[in-house]
Amino acid sequence: MSWVSWRRVRQAVQILSFVFYIILIFAVVQKRVAPALADIFFRLDPFSALGAMLASRQWIAKFALALVTVGVTLIIGRVWCGWICPLGSLLEWVSFRKARQRAKSISPHWRLVKYFLLATSLALALFGGLTLFVLDPIAIFTRTLTTAILPAIFYAVNSIETAFYQVNFLTPVLDGFEGLVRGTVLPVEQPAFAQSLAIAALFFGLIALNLLAHRFWCRYLCPLGALLGLLSKVSLFRPMIGIDGTSSTSCTRCTRCAVVCKPGAIDTNPEDFHIMPSECTVCLDCMASCKPGDIRFRFRMKPAQREEFDLSRRQALGALASGVAGVLLLGTDLRLRQDNPWRIRPPGVMDEEVFLSTCIRCSQCMKICPTTALQPALTQAGLSGLWTPLVVPRVGYCDYGCTACGQVCPSGAIPLLTLEEKRLSVIGKASINRDRCLPWASGVPCIVCEEMCPTPQKSIRLEEAEVIDSSGQTSTVQRPSVLRDLCIGCGICEHYCPLEGDAAIRVYDA
Amino acid sequence: MASFVSSGNDVIIKPNICTDYHPPEYASTTNPTVVGTLVSMCLEAGAKRVRVMDYPFGGTAKSAYAISGIADAVEAAGGEIHIMSQPKYIRVDIPQGRDLTEVEIYPDILEADLLINVPIAKDHGSTRLTLGAKNLMGVILDRGMMHWNLGQRIADLTSLVRPTLTVIDAVRILTANGPTGGDLADVKQTDTVIASRDIVAADAYATTLFGLTGSDIGYINACADMGLGTMDLSSINIQEINLG
Repeated sequence: MSWVSWRRVRQAVQILSFVFYIILIFAVVQKRVAPALADIFFRLDPFSALGAMLASRQWIAKFALALVTVGVTLIIGRVWCGWICPLGSLLEWVSFRKARQRAKSISPHWRLVKYFLLATSLALALFGGLTLFVLDPIAIFTRTLTTAILPAIFYAVNSIETAFYQVNFLTPVLDGFEGLVRGTVLPVEQPAFAQSLAIAALFFGLIALNLLAHRFWCRYLCPLGALLGLLSKVSLFRPMIGIDGTSSTSCTRCTRCAVVCKPGAIDTNPEDFHIMPSECTVCLDCMASCKPGDIRFRFRMKPAQREEFDLSRRQALGALASGVAGVLLLGTDLRLRQDNPWRIRPPGVMDEEVFLSTCIRCSQCMKICPTTALQPALTQAGLSGLWTPLVVPRVGYCDYGCTACGQVCPSGAIPLLTLEEKRLSVIGKASINRDRCLPWASGVPCIVCEEMCPTPQKSIRLEEAEVIDSSGQTSTVQRPSVLRDLCIGCGICEHYCPLEGDAAIRVYDA
Repeated sequence: MASFVSSGNDVIIKPNICTDYHPPEYASTTNPTVVGTLVSMCLEAGAKRVRVMDYPFGGTAKSAYAISGIADAVEAAGGEIHIMSQPKYIRVDIPQGRDLTEVEIYPDILEADLLINVPIAKDHGSTRLTLGAKNLMGVILDRGMMHWNLGQRIADLTSLVRPTLTVIDAVRILTANGPTGGDLADVKQTDTVIASRDIVAADAYATTLFGLTGSDIGYINACADMGLGTMDLSSINIQEINLG
């Protein structure tokens, strides 16, 4: 098979992988049960796997799959980046004509940023911090789809449907469409997420960087790419020009290969014309374009040569020092010294510190939560808890019949619970503000909280009381109070409290 | 059923599928056999289509339909499980409404040739019991506002929806910790199904299973006061059919 055909295979794999990723995204939106492969892309991701294991100091069996990616990389290089990574594919497809020209003015030294980021992230992880893993490429893409892009799509579809339902003859068509997609592809509840704008800005910002260079993120920034790049330096098979790199006989230095190379992995310095394995995404474009056909995979045991942008020992120490400085700064955050009543974690999370050093900030839990109760944290858990999941009951309650978040958590930060365990898992405690509660404050009958309370013995007790209403009439109302020992903090009371604004019953971290 | 269904009718059955927490033995959702049987009867009587729907407050519609056993029962009987989707809701006036004068409602409920209301009889904190009229709250979106004057607003909603037939499932009733349930000790086997064209009469009769009367329940009083039916059980013809 020619290299042109092999390139077609690569493009097909890329498309299939991307489509599969998107299908999984939709399959996991606001569901009660996760499909088996829901977290497969994270499990294949050695950067997150290594980080979570370093930080939590344990072997995480679910991440064993990441060894497959490591193995493939050690054999043939960054296949992940060129064939599988959905963000990488997207960045390859969104390309700007002028980017190649502009990239020439960017010093190759900038490539060290990704290695620096990798070293800093791992140093931070070594001391238990996973904050920088918000920059994992799969996490960035998934988080943006979850919190910004999917809600926007659902909002658009719902708005169009609402408008078209006004037109009578369209009703059967819309009903048919609804029957097909509602509850499967389209969630019944419109999702909305905190900080979706900031999350989307990061994502679209790094797409916009493609204006400066093809696959800008992959070249200069991606910490996962950096990790795989380091492994590629010792991969067994490497794409090489000529038999011994530079001493090729048939290479005419036409630089056609360098022109087509999206990640810019070919050093065209006439003194040292070569492909840099650490930057190559194994896309095969150079091979397909080489007229003499002299670029091939060649077997090498010796590590690849040093590149000018590889971290020097001094730079590597600098990266480690940054990681340590980060640990110190994040660890002395005032937020971590104060109890935060709104820091309510998903069911089964017992210890905040363990949680912060296991959660890879992937946002899968937020995506699957059927009530969209799980929201990305800003500073509620300190800056080190950025974009970790919090239960926000006014937005959504923790469904008494659901264990979905634990099913999709790739690192086990949210444990996989049985339904029985989940129902006993206390995530907070509800408390009534009697100055706002209708029966307490105004003598108006209302006990929605008690009605909604899902525990078999209601965690809210009602007591009858004589009250005098605003017109001076005496009447009897039932007043709710929380039975603290029974309450599991699911927050359905807070969610449905009919008061406008803040609920009169709120769940506090407990 | 032949007296309710004409050939080619589009029928909607509205059970109480309030949450996705418990299987049917817990008596928090309508008995699937009752729902399935009604679907079969409608289809046998010539209905073109029978759809079953509710909008749970706990969990998703899909999971609540499945866990309640109603999805299986309805599909086995040849009916359709239907998800009530937000874009379709419309705002309508309630001409007879005394307190609630307009509401956002799922339009199919109003447009169906026949609407059969199939609540389960169970305990409920604010209204004491949830029965036929209370079950109609499942067809509107904003239930929070209903609680500002619950009894009257349920009656106002009932005046708009007016199901042709109300079938109260009291095969198992939930006597405490309703409407969500979860403790089998609160479930009582009463093996009764109450059917009436008069939603108020059906509700009033069902209260007797709990040792109460219609006048104990705010929304039954309010419905009767609006002339939506009678809660005077002595004035109606009650046929008890004992199936052993």
